Amino acid sequence: MIKVHQVLLLAIAVYLGGCTATTTIDEFRPNTERLEILDGEKLVILGRRDAGHYETDRDFVGCVAKKMRGMNIEILPEEAFIDAIYPWFEPRTAPKGLPRLKRLLEEPAIRAKISEERVRYLVWLDGTAETQGQIGSMSCTVGPTGGGCFGYTQWEKIVFIEAIIWDLTDLTEKGRIRVDSEGTSFLIGIVAPIPLLSPVKSSACSGLGKQLKSFFTEDVG
Amino acid sequence: MPIRLLRTAVLLNLLLMLGACSSVISVKVDQQFPNVVSEPKDFSVALVFDQEFRTYVAKPNAKASIDIGSSQVDLLSRAFRGLFQRVEIVSSRDQVGPEAQLVIIPSVREVQLSTPSDSYLNVYEVWIKYNLDIETPDGEPIDSWFMPAYGKTPDSMMLSRSSAITSASTVALRDAGAKLLLDFFRIPSVYSWMERQKESEVQ
Repeated sequence: MIKVHQVLLLAIAVYLGGCTATTTIDEFRPNTERLEILDGEKLVILGRRDAGHYETDRDFVGCVAKKMRGMNIEILPEEAFIDAIYPWFEPRTAPKGLPRLKRLLEEPAIRAKISEERVRYLVWLDGTAETQGQIGSMSCTVGPTGGGCFGYTQWEKIVFIEAIIWDLTDLTEKGRIRVDSEGTSFLIGIVAPIPLLSPVKSSACSGLGKQLKSFFTEDVG
Repeated sequence: MPIRLLRTAVLLNLLLMLGACSSVISVKVDQQFPNVVSEPKDFSVALVFDQEFRTYVAKPNAKASIDIGSSQVDLLSRAFRGLFQRVEIVSSRDQVGPEAQLVIIPSVREVQLSTPSDSYLNVYEVWIKYNLDIETPDGEPIDSWFMPAYGKTPDSMMLSRSSAITSASTVALRDAGAKLLLDFFRIPSVYSWMERQKESEVQ
């Protein structure tokens, strides 16, 4: 005889199972050796903000930077770098490709500033999160005697981010990582709304951080 | 009796909330900007920030006012110090010293604000349209340069209206600095003025 609480537990387990995220990571390395970084040299993780319709999430950039900690690499925070090199990494002026970066570094003042900050690598993150396929509905009412939410809704969240690593010593691209993460979240209204959220962003952040770290710590092949 | 009291409290609360939705919002952008990374050119310029510019409060619509006066003075002072080796900052045209080779008088033409309720986008956007009157010390006009700048919030989630407008205005001011550094010496009349100055120094 199955008891009511067992059915409830099973239902919760099924829902929580549905809240996981599926993450796919692809990478490209021009060679098999790990990237060299000397003592005192720094890495900056930057978000692309020049597209009109989206901006790479600052929190996501911060999250990837946090995941990179614990190695012998100093991470210069994005905001500190952008301020230090102002105004050459603003949305209007940030180099979109290596040819533009080369031209930028031909300016003695900019080159001197980069050397002063000891920045060796730039990692550009470009991408966003999208919500798709929202179904169901929920209505909430509030009255003098109380209120509550009733209904059910679910949606799919997709995060796609590309990371590109630039080496500032020889102005070359040292690798690319593409992360796609997706998961379904639910909101169940039984008087109080109960959110069951899929950890899509944190899964993408962990995956990307781990992969990025491997560029500096592991040889491949 | 308690139910009547509760009803009154709920109604009062709703009225307050609705009142808050329609209130006029005033923000002050109180921001210190970073120094610019640039090699300034060997010229002396006078930058005229009149009282109106120093205390400028934009009113992009009937429901919002944005005080950008002190921030825009800070930003433009730093940006022009990155463009020219000697920058003299004065409050009126008649205070310009004898060393100045160029006089620049900035003014704000217009500030526009777009909120999620206007655009149905999940962002706040601010446009600041500057005008730079560029003259010789004798008052001969060189150019009147229109310089638009744009800023937006990444999204409006978790942001109050005032912090979103402040954030978008700060981004717009930073963009003005970027635009100035990128394009000022590309203004044809400024470029030819500099060439003439160099030629006269050679002679």
